[in-house]
This record gives sequence, structure tokens and C-alpha cells, in this order.
Amino acid sequence: MNALRAELRKALSLPAVWAGLAVTLFGSTAIAVLNSGRGKTAFETALGGMPLGTVGAVVIGVVAFSHEYTANNADAGGGRQITTTLTVTPQRIRILLAKVMAIVLLVVGSAAVTLPVTIGITHLIVDTTGPGVSFGDAIARCLGGTLYWTLMALIAFAITVILRNGVIPLIVLIVNSSVVSVSFLLSKLTSLAFWLPDVAGLRLFSDVMTVEGALDAGPGGLVMTGWAVVFCVAAGFVFTRRDA
Amino acid sequence: MITIDQVVKRRRSRTILDHVGFEARPGRVTAFLGPNGAGKSSTLRILLGLDHADSGTALFDGRPYRSLSDPLRTVGSMLEGSGAHRSRTARNHLAWVARSNGIPQRRIDEVLDEVGLTKDGKVRVAKYSLGMGQRLGIAAALLGEPEALVLDEPVNGLDPEGIRWIRGLLRGLADAGGTVLLSSHLMTEVADVADDLVVIAGGRIVTTGTVTDVTAGYGDLEEAFFALTGGTR
Repeated sequence: MNALRAELRKALSLPAVWAGLAVTLFGSTAIAVLNSGRGKTAFETALGGMPLGTVGAVVIGVVAFSHEYTANNADAGGGRQITTTLTVTPQRIRILLAKVMAIVLLVVGSAAVTLPVTIGITHLIVDTTGPGVSFGDAIARCLGGTLYWTLMALIAFAITVILRNGVIPLIVLIVNSSVVSVSFLLSKLTSLAFWLPDVAGLRLFSDVMTVEGALDAGPGGLVMTGWAVVFCVAAGFVFTRRDA
Repeated sequence: MITIDQVVKRRRSRTILDHVGFEARPGRVTAFLGPNGAGKSSTLRILLGLDHADSGTALFDGRPYRSLSDPLRTVGSMLEGSGAHRSRTARNHLAWVARSNGIPQRRIDEVLDEVGLTKDGKVRVAKYSLGMGQRLGIAAALLGEPEALVLDEPVNGLDPEGIRWIRGLLRGLADAGGTVLLSSHLMTEVADVADDLVVIAGGRIVTTGTVTDVTAGYGDLEEAFFALTGGTR
């Protein structure tokens, strides 16, 4: 519990984490506003901003660990925070669990603010014609979207732990979840790509009609969760065994 | 009491610690001396559970560091200077460190005062000098009011006033019954404060004993140091 509170405190006093939270909130809202007036319902327009939330979640997942390895100026000794982290909490699995819980809390918190805000704004500015979603569906897809962000953050985190470097997962996962989805393009070549973590979970929040051949929300969510568990277990295996 | 026994560490095919063993006793300041690259930091990293030893043990009162819960209340340590992320202020850094071991937040003011950083508590660590970083690292080590202190090169980057200050701090802790272990490649800087010396060269302990024991037969500590570590004057 002390370790979790320390990790939350660490994360919240880090500018990069606030940048991630800002991308989620303002990025999603901006995309939703830009996409209004394209004939979609208010709810679909709001969820059109989801990729930016994925980017924010990835940023939080990556920097939660990568900042441990940022070196100080050479003329100030060049030390890294990981030394402190591992000496104040020498049980490494405890550190990883505390970080995982801190990431989950931050991402779920960002979703709890962002989704109502974007949905509220799009309802104000989009003239909804035609059938909307039922309340139950809307809640299910919002929860699905939150799960998707959380799992992406944890996958990003685990990859960062394994690589001990945040740059590669940051670039790959941000490009993949915003500019062009490599895994989605792969799915045009082989249906095996629908089992990749980011595509598998797409139907957790997206419109069923948009992705032909993708896994359904339930199985897709399970597959994506499976990926996150595998990555996190691998991270734990590596982190407990190697020298700091 | 710190007990290091038969510690061996290999990196690839190179043996960097070759059956290293010594003790640091309560009520005494033990200086761990050796040239750069002799194995001082590697030994302390194993002692603090950061790196794994290939064989041997390193214990605090019979317990490995990794088995301690809230270790800051037992052992304070400093490796790699401040150990703080550059974008944090000293206060933010000490706040999470205190939180991680359930140490009350009022200790932050006390340790900042103790190391002379009260005025700079809200300055980002990126703007700190080497000496200020060392003081912040020592502040974090003191947070839990530990009975043992392990410091890697604590006098590095300190000005003469800082060196004088740290000597007083270490002496005071040892006189109060604490166990103090510090490493240095600057033997003259620590000779005045050390009770016991442990000298390492090339990954092997070459001598241990009181300052008088180690310098016996040599003109002074410097001569003893170079003769023992195989350096030239």
C-alpha cells in the first residue's frame, strides 16, 4: 500500500504524466469536435476521439517506468531514480504491482473524466437524427473503451520494462494507435492480425459495422487481456532477474 | 552490523569481485577504499540488493537487504548521487521516498535542514550542482532515521565546507551507535573520520583494519594506499 501511494505520488509529480492526461482529455475532445457534422450520431462522434485517449494511455504507461532510467546531468553525477526506487522498495514484484495499479487508476480516472465530457459536448453540437444508441449499449461501450485504454497502457508499460527504454514503445505504439495502424493494415493481408492486441480489442468500443471480420467485443477483450497478462508476466520475469 | 562474506560477481567472463568479504561494525565509521573500477560500487550494489552476486552473502544484522520491509528505517543509502528524477523538486522527491516507507512527511523539513538544502527544497533537481545532489541523496538516506548508513563516494563534488560537514555527520551517527560504511577513492578525505579501513583493488580485498593497522610500516596512509593497490606515486 505504501508502495502504491509512493508510485501515485511519483506519477502525479511528473510533467510527462500530466501531458498524457492532457492528450487524453483535450485530444479526444478536439477530435470529437472536428468530426462533428459528418452525419454520425453524437455518441459515435464522441467515440471517434478514442484513439487520442489510447495515445494518452500509452504515454502514461511508458513514462511510469521509463522516467526511472532518465539520467541526471553528467556534471550532477548522472544518477538515475531507479537506484532510489529499488532501494526504498527492494521487493521488485511489489514495485511492478504498485506501478500497474497506479497506471490503472490514472487511466481509469482519465476515462471517467474524458468520456462524459466528450459525449456531453458532442450532444450539444451534433444534431442527432436517426436512431441513437441505447443507454445500456452506451455504458457498455464506454466501459469497453476504458478497458481498451487500460490494457494498452499496461502493454506499453510492460514493453518499456522489458526494453528498459521508453522511446521505442512510445513511437511504435503512438504511431500505431493514431497515425496509421500497422496491425490494422496487416489484417487486410491475413485474418491472424485480428488477434494482435490492439485490433483484438477494437470492438470493445467501436461500432460493430466498422471493422469487417474483427473479433467480437467479448472474445476480443479476452484476447487483448491475455496479451496484457503475457506482456506483464514477461516484464516481471525480466525485472526480477536482471541487475538494476 | 554489516557482514559481507565471500561475494563473487562475474560480468560475462570477467570476475569483478573475487571472494570479497569484510565487516562494518556498529559505533564505527568504516571507509571502503580503492581506486576507480576496483569494485567498490559493485560491492555496495550487491549489499543493497540492486545487483545479484554469483555467490556469497551480504547481510545487515544477518538479513539480506531484499528481505527488509520499509528498509529506510534500518538502512539509509546513497548511490549515484541524488537518485532523483531531474524534473522533480527536492521536496517532491523526498515526499515519495518518505511515502514508500511510511515515514511521516514532517521528516522532509528536518532532513532538508540537516543537509542544508532548506532554501533549495523547491528547486528542480535538474538545476542542482553535484554537491547539492549529494546532499539530497544524503537527505533521503537520513529520512528513516536508520541505524546503518551506506554511502557511495559521498564526498564527491563537495566543497571543503561540505566535506567538513559530512565528516561531522558521519562521526555523530557512529558515536550514537550507528554503523557507517562509506566508499571513496579519495583516501585522505576520509582518513580523518574513519575508524576502520577496508582496501580493495582489482576486485579483491587487499587489507582491512584500523587506520593504525593499515598504515603500519608505511610513512602515511597515502603511501600505504598506493603500495597496497599497486598504483604508482
